[in-house]
Amino acid sequence: MERKTITIFHGPQHPGITGNMSVELELTGETITKARTHVGYLHRGFEKLIERRTVIQAFTIVCRICVPEPDPNEANFALAVEQLAGIEVSEKATYIRVMVLEMARLAAQLLWMAGQSGSVGLGTVGQWSIYDRDLILDLFEALTGGRVYHMYIYPGGVRRELPEGFLERLGALLDYLQKRLVEYDRLFFDNASFQKRAIGVGVVKSEEALHLGYVGQVLRGCGLKRDVRRDNPYFNYAALEFDIPTQSGGDVFARALVRRAEMRESIKILRQVIAQMPTEGAIMQKLPKHRKFTLPKEDTYVAVESARGEFGYYMAGDGSEMIRRMQVKGPSLIHGFTLLESLLVGEELSNVALIMNSLGICPPEIER
Amino acid sequence: MKIQLKNSIAPLGALKKIFEHPKTLCYPEVKAQNVTGYRGFHINDLSTCIGCANCQDVCMNEAIDMIAIDVDKNPKNNSGCIPRIDYGRCCWCSLCTDVCPPDSLKLESECIWADDDSNRFLYLPKDKPC
Amino acid sequence: MQNLMQHFEIIQKTPTLYALHVSIETLFNTLHHLRYQSDFITLSQLTCTDWIEEERFELGYMLTNLERNCNLMVKCFIGRDDVTVASVVTLFPQAEVMERELHEMFGVGFEGNDTLYDFALEDWQDLPPMRREFDTLAYVQSHYDFRDGRDDNLDVKEQIKIRKAAAKSAKEAQGGA
Repeated sequence: MERKTITIFHGPQHPGITGNMSVELELTGETITKARTHVGYLHRGFEKLIERRTVIQAFTIVCRICVPEPDPNEANFALAVEQLAGIEVSEKATYIRVMVLEMARLAAQLLWMAGQSGSVGLGTVGQWSIYDRDLILDLFEALTGGRVYHMYIYPGGVRRELPEGFLERLGALLDYLQKRLVEYDRLFFDNASFQKRAIGVGVVKSEEALHLGYVGQVLRGCGLKRDVRRDNPYFNYAALEFDIPTQSGGDVFARALVRRAEMRESIKILRQVIAQMPTEGAIMQKLPKHRKFTLPKEDTYVAVESARGEFGYYMAGDGSEMIRRMQVKGPSLIHGFTLLESLLVGEELSNVALIMNSLGICPPEIER
Repeated sequence: MKIQLKNSIAPLGALKKIFEHPKTLCYPEVKAQNVTGYRGFHINDLSTCIGCANCQDVCMNEAIDMIAIDVDKNPKNNSGCIPRIDYGRCCWCSLCTDVCPPDSLKLESECIWADDDSNRFLYLPKDKPC
Repeated sequence: MQNLMQHFEIIQKTPTLYALHVSIETLFNTLHHLRYQSDFITLSQLTCTDWIEEERFELGYMLTNLERNCNLMVKCFIGRDDVTVASVVTLFPQAEVMERELHEMFGVGFEGNDTLYDFALEDWQDLPPMRREFDTLAYVQSHYDFRDGRDDNLDVKEQIKIRKAAAKSAKEAQGGA
């Protein structure tokens, strides 16, 4: 019998795809023989827009580069501008930044859990985790004035003082989440139907992972202990105690277990931040006026650990008040092309959504 | 890794949530509370606004127009202009309120406005003292 | 690192960030050397900056070491027009998509990379958009309409002048009377 190959587009309007992108698949029966990623459905030209804006104006655009977790972008932007302009940040602002980043990481992991469980047909998990994420967003709302785009971590510090009773609210939420994580274990991570789908699917080879530039859970799922917070500490992560969880499987399930452990680590970090948060101190340094804020003709590269891996910014100033070039390096560029295209070959069509979700591909940071 | 029978049964424990009260709000009857500090609509205290257009200058979306004021409320307003915001362009970053020298421009927590014509979203901030 | 610093003119920018400038002729060999003879085995970013007033692009290969705690920027100035650089796909497979992006956004050619088709833009015939001579505002004005009803926007500096002049003339009129 002659085997026929057909080509289909998976996405951009497929519920199993992460965001607005599509994968062109060549199929023989149910098996994928070739995959090619297409992006460009969400190209908003941030890097080009930033060329026309002053430093302060560019600040409001960077959080939009990744919708599920905007805060690593703000942190990167602030780090890069502070490094170029030589601004020191107060201790209190640093602690608040760490707190915001870890809250964002928790929220992003909960959102990932909804996507990952949806890709295997477990709708209940998504409803629970989106509700729990909303509780974190409520805190963000009180702290920053926005639920999703916080525009809070600013070059020179953070924009608002902690509201009254905020740390107590956060502590109570952490207690609640700690209890919920046990329920999530029962419902999702230990669930036989998820394990059956996820174990042995989308296996990343650990020997090529470092060389090909994979980051985040993809590395840690292959047993490689790499985390920017530990390897290249920024803010005051060097002073905080936390573990870097790893797994050895390299498959979708290993990455899920790494994320599960990371949620516990985030809660641990947040508890330390609550305990150590300085009560006194300025949250913002005095900055030059909007049109007088110039960057020297120098360049730098900064990186923070987002919920999906290393998120880096290259920034070059040219002596004027505009940023000459700001280039984003999200985890998704390499994961979405080099890794995804090779991982999908040989997999079944029904596993595409599963693998994409476990890599955490976010198209806006690919096409910026 | 071997998949055990208890892993197939344990998820059914979620069924006990059926007896819990729903977490969602019953929308038209019960509304979510406005949060203090939320970045919603603009308010502008006309008795202190000096019409300096700093807000227009900092707005990277070019969402702010300076338009002529009907009644002069502040003798220090040298230009006789006040800001009007195009909510089709505004991204609620609140940089305009940061740079306002007399702190007259602010954001309130009110944030719901529905209209069927997008050209109507030109918003003159309410004159409220902050 | 110490060993590398003896061979190359590496500048330390921050405790974990180093920079190295090379010429376009030695670029590939340097990257080859770093890939196989040193710890810097990962290419994590390929950047391009347009220095239009100096009529050159600056390519930057961001290399990361095995421990992922140190970055080395290998930078190289290239011309702005019809320039082709040797592709590094054979050294770093992930460069394939990065080079595709730079080809589309800046018009830089990469010899040896045969996947330089569309990246994010579809059938783009215009100037590569990230080049600085590409004017975003002009493009928007020729392709999109602006919202009506915003013609009453006034120039504040003009208004201050007009009002000052009016106040002055009113005063003079009063003084004359």
